[in-house]
Amino acid sequence: MGLLNDTMTLYKREMLIFKANLRTNLIRSIMFPLIILLIFGSLGSSVKGVPVDVVNYASNPISVQFINTLQQQNVIAVKGITTETQALNDLSTGKVDVVVVILPGFPASSSESTPSLYVYYSNNYVNLGSSLQQIGSAAAIYGARSNVALQQGFVLGNNGVPPQSTISLNPTYGAQGNYSTFLAGGIIGMVVVFGTMFGGGMSIITDRQLGNLKAFLITPVERTSLVLSKMLSGTTQALISGIMLIGIIYLFGIQIAMGAVGVLWILLLSAVAAFGFSGITTTLASRVNKIEVYAIAAQTITMPLWFASGAFSPTSALPSWLQPLSVVDPLTYMTVGIRDIMINGYYPLATMGLDFAILIGFAIVATIISIKVFSTRVG
Amino acid sequence: MTKNIIEIKRLVKKFGDFTALDGVDLNVYEGEVFGLLGPNGAGKTTIINVVLGLLKQTSGSVYVNGLDNTKHIEEIKRAIGMMTQETVVENELTARENLELFAKLYQVDNDKIPKRVEYALEEADLVKFGDVRAGTFSGGMQRRLELVKSMIHNPPILILDEPTTGLDVQNRTELWKRIRALNKEGITVILTTQYLEEADALCDRIAIIDHGKIKAIGTVSELKALVGTGNVLEIIAKPDDIDDIVKLLKKYDIDAVVKSDKITASLGKDSSRMFTKITNAIEDKKIQVLAISAHLPTLDDVFIKLTGGQIRDSTGENASAMTRARLMKKR
Repeated sequence: MGLLNDTMTLYKREMLIFKANLRTNLIRSIMFPLIILLIFGSLGSSVKGVPVDVVNYASNPISVQFINTLQQQNVIAVKGITTETQALNDLSTGKVDVVVVILPGFPASSSESTPSLYVYYSNNYVNLGSSLQQIGSAAAIYGARSNVALQQGFVLGNNGVPPQSTISLNPTYGAQGNYSTFLAGGIIGMVVVFGTMFGGGMSIITDRQLGNLKAFLITPVERTSLVLSKMLSGTTQALISGIMLIGIIYLFGIQIAMGAVGVLWILLLSAVAAFGFSGITTTLASRVNKIEVYAIAAQTITMPLWFASGAFSPTSALPSWLQPLSVVDPLTYMTVGIRDIMINGYYPLATMGLDFAILIGFAIVATIISIKVFSTRVG
Repeated sequence: MTKNIIEIKRLVKKFGDFTALDGVDLNVYEGEVFGLLGPNGAGKTTIINVVLGLLKQTSGSVYVNGLDNTKHIEEIKRAIGMMTQETVVENELTARENLELFAKLYQVDNDKIPKRVEYALEEADLVKFGDVRAGTFSGGMQRRLELVKSMIHNPPILILDEPTTGLDVQNRTELWKRIRALNKEGITVILTTQYLEEADALCDRIAIIDHGKIKAIGTVSELKALVGTGNVLEIIAKPDDIDDIVKLLKKYDIDAVVKSDKITASLGKDSSRMFTKITNAIEDKKIQVLAISAHLPTLDDVFIKLTGGQIRDSTGENASAMTRARLMKKR
């Protein structure tokens, strides 16, 4: 009972301090993610004149009309009508970003399962903007079956006249995905980690520098409750930032596919991950005396974990030497879970079980280490 | 028979190769004001940190109220109120929240907390400022808050680590008054200080500590008697004349201690007649002195006698024993 009481007493103190600097704390926790969302979330949104090569195997009046339509689009700029070999060569040398191949018989196709239009594009979402959507809608005018393929020849979607969503089908970011939704999921992870950096560890260092820690240690309080209160406060602050960020995400027009239940799942994932990361930051703060050193060390630890978690790009796109880190990085499992919730709209039981098992295990280990290090190092 | 409320025996504390406490023996009697007097880095704070279990002793024993500090540290902490050297209040919390926080940490019964807090605010003269953030208080107000905060659980022992360092004269006198009042209520007070006048003004008994060793321990008058009987003579003269004066004093069987331009010596039993004799002799010899005086022995004189230096400059180090030990480790 003593442990619980002491922890809650000290936790209340942490929260009073947080409340005293509420405005600064909230602005601090939201500024960075907001800037990232603003700048990176809308990457490619104002791209104009994406260079396109057209290969016309049909050579019929409708295909010529289709090319005319393409030429009138503002996002794409038709560079040339050429052979497939030449066009794919242009694509691989970067002269164009998209190749549209009009198959014989356009707009009809030889069978139900084959398309009448192929689109190859470079695997570079930033340069493409909404060019694929424009090609898709132009093709739809003529009732063509189109198909979008990566440069490598990876064929996707094959189901007749594509609705917009199919033509913008993007293997990298999931079926319904666009980059801002993808990024938003990763930024929630960031907010959690950074929140614990400021909330949990930083206050141990300032408390020690100002002597407040000694003031606590001369009371009969248990050291464990000092650590736990810091971890709980770090978790709370991270969750507050997370909730604010989800609000901002909505303002950006980014949907959480799973809805309100999804928000709860996201917060639950965040809470467990935040508690674990609070353990890491309090451990670090117990070993480091200077706030400058702490800031550098904390960033050195959290930044790679954040990047490796697939916050910016899918983990499959990470360099091979980073892949093992992303497998052991607890943040990966949180990010994966959040993506399932935000993009796919459902959280499969097996994934959920794995994500939570790993995050809870991580939180337990981090708590034990941080209590151990704190009791032996601080005093 | 006076009861020992704190018993320290052969206490040794080492930080690596550095010995901060080198076999300290001392007893504190119940109900007294006990002073630990010594220069910066002498080991005063280290003794207190060991008593409170913040540091583990290398060897030796500490008993508080008969309880071993290695086994019953929680009970010991509950029996001690402690005001640290630096003024530490929760800046973002109000005075009332500060007191409530520590009342809870000291495990004061929940139903008694409001009363204790109100009483403490009255004691500290902060009733009007109960709901004001402590960070906005002046240094004196913060110090007062800290004192009542350390007494919030009504402990029988109060430890003050350099309580008046950095306070102005008015606040210092005020704090002295409160310490005396607390002692009258029966609380045993232990204070560390580097100010001789503070030890002189407050303490029943004093231990003089230097380089981790107790140099002397006793009541103020017992310690002053160590300097010798009679008044202390002090002469300040030009460096050229110092030798002449020392020779002159020798004639009267007086051993002088010289430190740059200052000569000090004990005048013996018949102090006033001896003082006249010496001043006359100096005048006869036409030696020019810049100042000559005789005064009752002070703790300063005791300190010079025991440690061979003045308290303010005896080590010249501002670093505490802990920091010094850390620096040594790094080297």
